[in-house]
Amino acid sequence: MRKVLLITAALATVPAAGIAADLQEVVDARRGFYSMLGADMSVLASMAKGDIEYDGAAAQTHADNLKLLTAYNMGHLYAPGTSNADMPGKTRALPKIWEDGAGVQEKSMAFVQAVEKLNEVAGLDRAELGGAVQRLGGACKECHDNYRARDF
Amino acid sequence: MKDRGTHGAGPGGETARADNAAVEIETIRVWDPLLRLFHWLLAIAVVGAWGLGKFGPNVMTLHFWFGYAVLGLLAFRLIWGFVGPEHARFGNFRYGPVSIGKYVLHMVRREPSYWRGHNPLGGFFVFVLLGVLAVHAGLGLIADPEDYVNAGPLAREVSTTTSRTALAWHATLGWVVLGLVVLHVAAIGFYRKWKGEDLIRPMITGRKTVRKDP
Repeated sequence: MRKVLLITAALATVPAAGIAADLQEVVDARRGFYSMLGADMSVLASMAKGDIEYDGAAAQTHADNLKLLTAYNMGHLYAPGTSNADMPGKTRALPKIWEDGAGVQEKSMAFVQAVEKLNEVAGLDRAELGGAVQRLGGACKECHDNYRARDF
Repeated sequence: MKDRGTHGAGPGGETARADNAAVEIETIRVWDPLLRLFHWLLAIAVVGAWGLGKFGPNVMTLHFWFGYAVLGLLAFRLIWGFVGPEHARFGNFRYGPVSIGKYVLHMVRREPSYWRGHNPLGGFFVFVLLGVLAVHAGLGLIADPEDYVNAGPLAREVSTTTSRTALAWHATLGWVVLGLVVLHVAAIGFYRKWKGEDLIRPMITGRKTVRKDP
């Protein structure tokens, strides 16, 4: 695969002392990353549901943004010591993320593939977009159910 | 109205050993048809919603519909609890802690309860189950798992914090519902095996053998 969410590669790598960013900043950046995914996804979902009017060009732009974000190497955003066990109340990331590299990798791949599919069809029509949004939403849910606490 | 009847129909004059004394029993209709239909539809809706929630597809459309069915059935039960036949009414099985305690003490005896309608402990359980289901399904309406396909229909009407808290409680209460259902089925088994009283058949036919009113 050309593009892979490079989470697992970095999970095993303890950041070298000195260059390790402040852990709170890591968590803030990580949540920011998912906020960006959400900002694009929410517009696409609203179009698919008909809450806002479908606009092929705009849909393609948001789908392009999502695809761009899948190329982002987010390994450093999952620095060790940033689970909700390490930082209660600051993050909902479960320690399981750092313990289940294979599972994270598999679900990340499903996410990337869903984004790529979405990117292919987002500009075609609303029905195509709808199917792709559902598939991507399902990929979101896979990780939320397994690797994210439901509340802080 | 035929279904209201607590008196009559059954073969009167039977007796049985209960409470260490001969008691007169009769077979009457305790559960009206709509209540029975409600019971079995609720069982299907709850089991369906629960299974789909845990094992269903990632796009949870069916889970949502089963959840709406639960809410609709609860709305019916609420109305029926005030205007329904005798044993469907909330007032008919609202007992105080003393009555419940007394019933629990006698419950372990290996004899049928011959109770008319919900007994004190069972009645208390009905209130707990209906209440938990109402809260559980209601929270589902405002829960938001942030996957943009499975947000509750009213999640937008509340704050992000509220819909997140609702999501967490919806998940927790799912296990409470499972526990209550297991307890319910276990209690039916206990009455069947230990007390020799079949409570399933009355919920199908409506007719139950009960102690005669003094």
